Amino acid sequence: MSTEKTPRAGYRAAQNFQFFLSHSSLAVLGLSIIVLFALMALAHPILMATVWDRVTYHPLVGFDYEGIPHPNLPSWKHLLGTDALGRDVLSQLMFATRTSFGLGLVAATIATTLATLIGMISAHYGGAIDTLLMGMSDAFVLMPPPIVLLVIGLLVDMNWLAMGLVFGIFAGLGSPAIIAKSYGQSIKVKPYIEAARIAGGSNWYIIRVHYLPNMISFILVNFMFIVTQSVLIEALLSFFGRTQMRMSWGTMVWFMQYTFRISPFRDQWHAIIPPALAIMLFCGAFYMVGRALDEVVNPRLRKR
Amino acid sequence: MEICFHPFMFLDDIEMARYIVRRLIRAAITLLVFQTILFLLIHALPWDAVDLIRVPSAYKPGLRRALGLDLPLWEQYSIWMRSFFTGDLGKSFQLGRTPVMSLFEARAPRTLLLFLPGAFMGFGLGLWLGKYIAWLRKGWLELSASVTGVIFYTAFAPWLAFVIVAVFALGLKWMPPENIINPNIWAGTTVLTETIAWYLLSTVAIGFLIALVVWRVTQRKAMRHLFRLGGFSLIVALTAYLWLVSGLALFALDMLHHLVLPLVTLILLTFGETMLLMRATMIDVLADDHVLTARAKGLSSHQVMERHVARLAIFPVFARFIVQLPLVIVGSFVIEKAFFWQGMGELLFRAVDTYDVPVVMGILSVVGALILVFHVMLDIIAAWLDPRLRVSFSLSSPQKS
Repeated sequence: MSTEKTPRAGYRAAQNFQFFLSHSSLAVLGLSIIVLFALMALAHPILMATVWDRVTYHPLVGFDYEGIPHPNLPSWKHLLGTDALGRDVLSQLMFATRTSFGLGLVAATIATTLATLIGMISAHYGGAIDTLLMGMSDAFVLMPPPIVLLVIGLLVDMNWLAMGLVFGIFAGLGSPAIIAKSYGQSIKVKPYIEAARIAGGSNWYIIRVHYLPNMISFILVNFMFIVTQSVLIEALLSFFGRTQMRMSWGTMVWFMQYTFRISPFRDQWHAIIPPALAIMLFCGAFYMVGRALDEVVNPRLRKR
Repeated sequence: MEICFHPFMFLDDIEMARYIVRRLIRAAITLLVFQTILFLLIHALPWDAVDLIRVPSAYKPGLRRALGLDLPLWEQYSIWMRSFFTGDLGKSFQLGRTPVMSLFEARAPRTLLLFLPGAFMGFGLGLWLGKYIAWLRKGWLELSASVTGVIFYTAFAPWLAFVIVAVFALGLKWMPPENIINPNIWAGTTVLTETIAWYLLSTVAIGFLIALVVWRVTQRKAMRHLFRLGGFSLIVALTAYLWLVSGLALFALDMLHHLVLPLVTLILLTFGETMLLMRATMIDVLADDHVLTARAKGLSSHQVMERHVARLAIFPVFARFIVQLPLVIVGSFVIEKAFFWQGMGELLFRAVDTYDVPVVMGILSVVGALILVFHVMLDIIAAWLDPRLRVSFSLSSPQKS
C-alpha cells in the first residue's frame, strides 16, 4: 500500500499562482503594467548616467536651450516633448514613478503590518486587549486618511517617506485592522490552535506559527488596495498643491493646470495626458492584481 | 398568535432592542475616543494655532490667553470635550470670526445636495450594471465591464472633472463649467441657496418615500404597472406644481443646472467598485442550490434574478459601500474644489490655505460623526436582517468582499 504524498505548501502556492495567471486576464494585465512601471523607475538613473545629459534632461532643473520656445511637441529628442519650463516630460514621468512606488510600498507595508498585528493580537487574546484595540480602530475609522494628511501637511512639511508613514498609520489602524480581526477570529476557532495551546505553545509562538501563515490572503489583498489608495491620494493632494513633493505625478498635473492658461491645449496635450494616465494605470494595475488575488485566496469568488 | 404590524416592529424583539442600545453606547464611546485622538493630534504638533497667525510676537501671549491656549492641558481637554458635545465648534480665525457651526449650517446642505444623490445614484447604478453583467455572463462584456470599472474607480478625480468640463461645458456649452448658481438670476432676491438645497433634498426624500409606498401597496395588484405609472406621474406632477406655486422653481432649476456636472463626475467615480463587487457576489450566489430549485419551479428568469439572486447578493455589497463611504466623501470634497461648488470641501481647502484651525478641526469632527452614523445604521440594518448578529459580538463589520 503506497502512501499518497500530500501536496506540500510550495506546490500548492505554485498551483495557486498558475490558477491566478491562467484564469484572470486582469491579473496578467495588471502585473505587466506594474513590471513596466518598475522598469521605468529603474531605467531612469541608468539613462541619466549614460544617454541623457544632466543639463537637458534633469527632471527638476533641466532645460533644453535648443528648443525655445517651450513647450515642445514630442520629437525623437524628447519622446514626450517638454513642458513650459523646458523640462523633458518623459524624464519627469520616470523620475516620479520612483516616488510613487516608494510611497505606495511604504504606506502599504506599514498599514498591513499594523493591521495584521492588531488583528491577530486582538483576536488571540480577546477580553480587555480586544476591547481596547477595537475601540481604537473604531475611532480611527472615523478619520479619513486624506483629510488627516491634508491637515498634517498644513503644519509639517512632508516628503514622500513621511507621507507614506502617516498614511500607513492612519489607514492601517482603521478598517483594515477590523477586517484583520475578523480573519483572526475565524482562525481562533480552528482545532489546531487548541492543539498548539495544549502542546504548550506560547502566545507569541501560536501567533507567529499558526495565525500569520493563515493571514497571508488578507495581507496580500490589503497590501494591493493600500498601494492604490495611497498613490491616488498623494496625487490628489499634490494636484491641489498641498504637499512639499518636489516631483510626482500629481505635481506634474498641478503644474500643467498653471500653464494651461498660457498656451492652448493642442500645444501641451503631451505634457497633460501622460501623468494623469500614469496615475490611472498604476493604481488600476495594483487594484486589478488585488482583485485577482482576492479571487484566488477566497475560492468562493472563483468563476464557476 | 396575533401579530400587530407597525413600523417599529423590530423593536418588539427584546434582543434587537438590547442590541441597539449596546450599539449606541459603543458609538458614544467611539465618539469620545475619536475626539480625544483629534485633540492629541493637534497638541502633538510642535506649533500651536497662534504660531500660525502672522502677528507681531508681542501680541502672541495675549492671543494665547484669549484662545485659552495657556491653560493646563487637562483643562483645555475638558473645554474641548464640553464644547464638542454641546455643539460649539469655536469661531473661525478668518471669515470675520464667524462661529464654525453657522458656517457649516450654510455649507452642509450644499454638500449634502451633491454627496447624497451622488453616493446613492452611483451605488444604484453599480448594483444595476453588476447585476446584469453577472446575469448575462458574456466573456467580452465581463472583461470590458471590469476594465471600465477599474478605470473609473482609479480615475484621477480632478482630471475626470476637467475632461467633463472641457467636453460638456466648454465644448458643447450645455452646462455651466463651475460655480453653484448664476448670480444674474438670483440678483435682487433674499432667497438663500441653502434653503433651496434643503427644499430640494426634502422633496427628493419625501417623493422617494411616497414612491416606495406606492410600490409596496401595488405589489400584488393585477394591473400594477398601470397603477405604478399613474402613481409616479401623479407624484412628479404634484412636486412640480408645488415648486411652481412656491415661486422658487427658477432658483431650484438654476441650482440643478449647476449640479449636473459635479453629480455626474461623482457618480462615475463611485459606481465602478460597486459594479465589480456586485458582479463577483452575484456569481457567487448563482452557484447556490436554491437558484437551481427556483429555476426548476418554473419561475421566470427575471424573478430568479431579482428575488433569488440579487436580493442575497446585495447585502455584502451594501456593507462594503458603507465602509468605503469616507472615500466617497473625500471624492465629493475634491469635486467641490474642482467645480468651485461652495460646500464643505471647498471650505476645507480654503481653511487649510488660511490656517483656519477651528474650521479644519470642525470639518474633521463632522465628517467623523457622519461616518459613525452610517456605520451604526449599517450595524442595525445588519442585525435586523440577520438575527444571529444580535446575540453574537458584532463590530461595525467591514464585511469581507
